[in-house]
Amino acid sequence: MFSLGLGKKTTILLWLSVVFFFAAPGTEILAQKKFSKTYPASKNVRLQLTNRTGTVNVEGWNRDEISISAYMEAPAANIVPQNLSGTIVINLIKDNEGRGEVGNVNFSIKVPYTTMVDIETRIGNLTVNSINSGLVRAHISSEGDITLTNISAAAVSAENVMGDIFFDGEIRREGNYRFASNKGAINIRIPFESSFKLMATAPSTRSISLGAFSGGNMTFIGDGRRVVGKSSDGSATITVTNQRGTIAFIRR
Amino acid sequence: MNCEHCQEYISAFLDNDLDEKISAGIQAHLAVCADCAKVCEDFAAILDMCHTEETAAAEVLPPNSQALWCRINNIIESEIQPLQAEVKKEEEPKRGFARMWQLSFGQVAAGMIIIGIVSSLLTIVGIRNYSTPSGVDGTDAASQTLFEKVLGKMGLVETPIQARERKIKEQQAAIDYWNKRVEARRAQWDKNLREAFDRNLHEIDQTVAEYTQILQENPQDELSGEMLDSTLNDKMELLREFSDL
Repeated sequence: MFSLGLGKKTTILLWLSVVFFFAAPGTEILAQKKFSKTYPASKNVRLQLTNRTGTVNVEGWNRDEISISAYMEAPAANIVPQNLSGTIVINLIKDNEGRGEVGNVNFSIKVPYTTMVDIETRIGNLTVNSINSGLVRAHISSEGDITLTNISAAAVSAENVMGDIFFDGEIRREGNYRFASNKGAINIRIPFESSFKLMATAPSTRSISLGAFSGGNMTFIGDGRRVVGKSSDGSATITVTNQRGTIAFIRR
Repeated sequence: MNCEHCQEYISAFLDNDLDEKISAGIQAHLAVCADCAKVCEDFAAILDMCHTEETAAAEVLPPNSQALWCRINNIIESEIQPLQAEVKKEEEPKRGFARMWQLSFGQVAAGMIIIGIVSSLLTIVGIRNYSTPSGVDGTDAASQTLFEKVLGKMGLVETPIQARERKIKEQQAAIDYWNKRVEARRAQWDKNLREAFDRNLHEIDQTVAEYTQILQENPQDELSGEMLDSTLNDKMELLREFSDL
């Protein structure tokens, strides 16, 4: 048997310390509960999720099913998803009504590309990636960042009080896009040939950067606090409001 | 023949409509009775006067009493008409004054049309003030038309500033309500949640204070009014959403 010439007691102590070293982080893992469930989904499925505190990540995939995974910090929240006529509804506020302290719940959800996504959380970050549908709505009641990437939707709404908002996607004709924050940076990355009417307001900082979209059709009004105008034939509508932050447009 | 019988027949006696016997008796009585003789004299005088009027007038008097009464009526009416004409002349100034209020159909129709137009304009201005979002292009309250300004000064329509103040009061009432709900739930939150809520609320309150100060200095700044309205709505939403935690 392999031996370093150590005594029996010393060997046992060494093995025990190795075991405790690897087991210690496991206490945290054991304290986190996991919820996992998969639902079959039609093409026009809708995901409606209301979280208390925690993050929500939604990603589109090429499967006709919705996979929900949630990691719950202690004290663990109750999660009771419902499937109501093609809408997957998860409402942690309602499912934990009357409970005092409830730990963070961090969701990781995979949905078909064409899913209409409507997610909100009281505190935490929201991320939506690779969605091509009619609606993407991301609402944070207080603080958190919103990141919407590779989005092609007819209606997009992203709002928070404190935090950044980043949108990277397409502007569909006659679509409606709304971004609102009280403090943080709003960055919008869209194709140069996008057709939209714009009203962007940054009353406190007056920092509105149009980048490649500046030009004769865009006008600064109200002492530079607001920009109104249109790009191309002004088909879609983009409304951006950042009370005490900045707004920037980036060419995709 | 007594006086009663005599006076009964005097008229016929004077008209020679009595037979000889009665006529002789009346003559005998008149010879001895002064009263009946006096009556006979009076009747005779009336007859003489009638005969005189007859000869003086060109027309022939009707033989019967009914025709006589008709003639008397005509004379009376002809005398009354001038008097009535004088009375009418005195009343004409009053009627002229009353005539002012007697309007023709065209005048009434024109008046109703004018009233309808004014009512419609007031309604349009009122609806416009209520529904049109203010400050969409950042212009200030000078964009109000002269007509709207006049109506605003008369108190018939709400000015944009008055509308804004009214809405702020309504929003503040709602905020107070949700604030109470939050205070009732706050004790159940953990420390992180409480701190995050206070941080965000403070951020919004700072924004509200900024716009309030701007509007005190320049009440006509509709963009700031719009932003204040939006911020107050955000505050209401924050309180409402945290009230159910």
